[in-house]
Amino acid sequence: MHELSLAQSLVEQLLVLAAEQRATRVVRIRVRIEPLAGVVTDSFSFGFEAVKTISAVTRDAILELDCPPASYRCLACGRLSEHPLPPEIPCPGCGAKNRQLPTGGDQLLLLQVELEEQETDNGKTEPQPREVNSHV
Amino acid sequence: MCEQCGCQSPQPGGKAAEKNPKTMLLEVNRRLLAANDKQAAANRRLAEEKLGAVVINLISSPGGGKTTLLAATIDRLAGRRKIGVLEGDIETERDAERLRAHGIPVVALTTGGACHLDAPLVNRGLQQLAAKEDRLDLVFIENVGNLVCPATFDLGEHYRVVLLSVPEGSDKPAKYPRAFLTSQVFLVSKTDLLPHFDFSLDEVRQDALGINPDLKILPLAAKDGVGLDAWLAWLETLFP
Repeated sequence: MHELSLAQSLVEQLLVLAAEQRATRVVRIRVRIEPLAGVVTDSFSFGFEAVKTISAVTRDAILELDCPPASYRCLACGRLSEHPLPPEIPCPGCGAKNRQLPTGGDQLLLLQVELEEQETDNGKTEPQPREVNSHV
Repeated sequence: MCEQCGCQSPQPGGKAAEKNPKTMLLEVNRRLLAANDKQAAANRRLAEEKLGAVVINLISSPGGGKTTLLAATIDRLAGRRKIGVLEGDIETERDAERLRAHGIPVVALTTGGACHLDAPLVNRGLQQLAAKEDRLDLVFIENVGNLVCPATFDLGEHYRVVLLSVPEGSDKPAKYPRAFLTSQVFLVSKTDLLPHFDFSLDEVRQDALGINPDLKILPLAAKDGVGLDAWLAWLETLFP
């Protein structure tokens, strides 16, 4: 269940980002989990839902996942195809078995973050302390 | 709530986006483990500059034979190579004690529940090794027994070695591809048990190479010393 550690580092990263941008709330984030990253997406989402509650800044953040499928290159014919693991599925091009190398990425990336900042009546941004629940 | 899809986002271009509060969209494109990876890079530098050591991260399931392999390796290299071990375990110092009995410095990294080591924990271990020793040739990090989670975390190793024991079954590379994808060496351990198990060396080799064609595969039985020469020969290639 290393997904919980990953969710934890994500929330820490979000808190730093929010502080840098003087934002009071993380509204929405987009995370890419590539097929060979070795991450169970459901566990990761579950972990994020649990960990995000540590701060009012991240408490209401919505997690969107971007999970591209694995691609495989056949060593026998060179064909690139997309299908899930395991690799012993025969190549749809030439039928060769056990000759396909996973070529999908193994990256875990924080792609996009939507932040919210409070504005005062005169239009200027006023940084809020983290404890404040800006949602109220 | 968004009226287009029912999600909880403020509606695009709606009142929430225009007035108070104001939202902004940042394109970040940053690795989730950026902080861990930065620490891992610092760990590599620390091992090189302070100890002059090559660091090897050893990954396997619980009971795969990591500690037995290390004990045999330490004995065979005694007097030739200086070895230090960072011993990762969820609880107890049993393995650390076992290896200390072989006369080498061992730092126990007890995770207290976590299923893997991470770079900050390994940094503390390396600092402790560096406080004890001026120079080491090799530092082995024995990861927490787990074929899944440790594969995601760079600890600052120079090489990653995955170990799979015969009783676990030859289908494991296909089932747990990341450990094999990110390693440079794959040790098939406990080969003395091959006659008793339905384990195919051919299948395991083919699957592992299918996932990572550059993987060096070495079958061995550390208890009997069978296959250790090839493993030690690979270790020697790490020294110019």
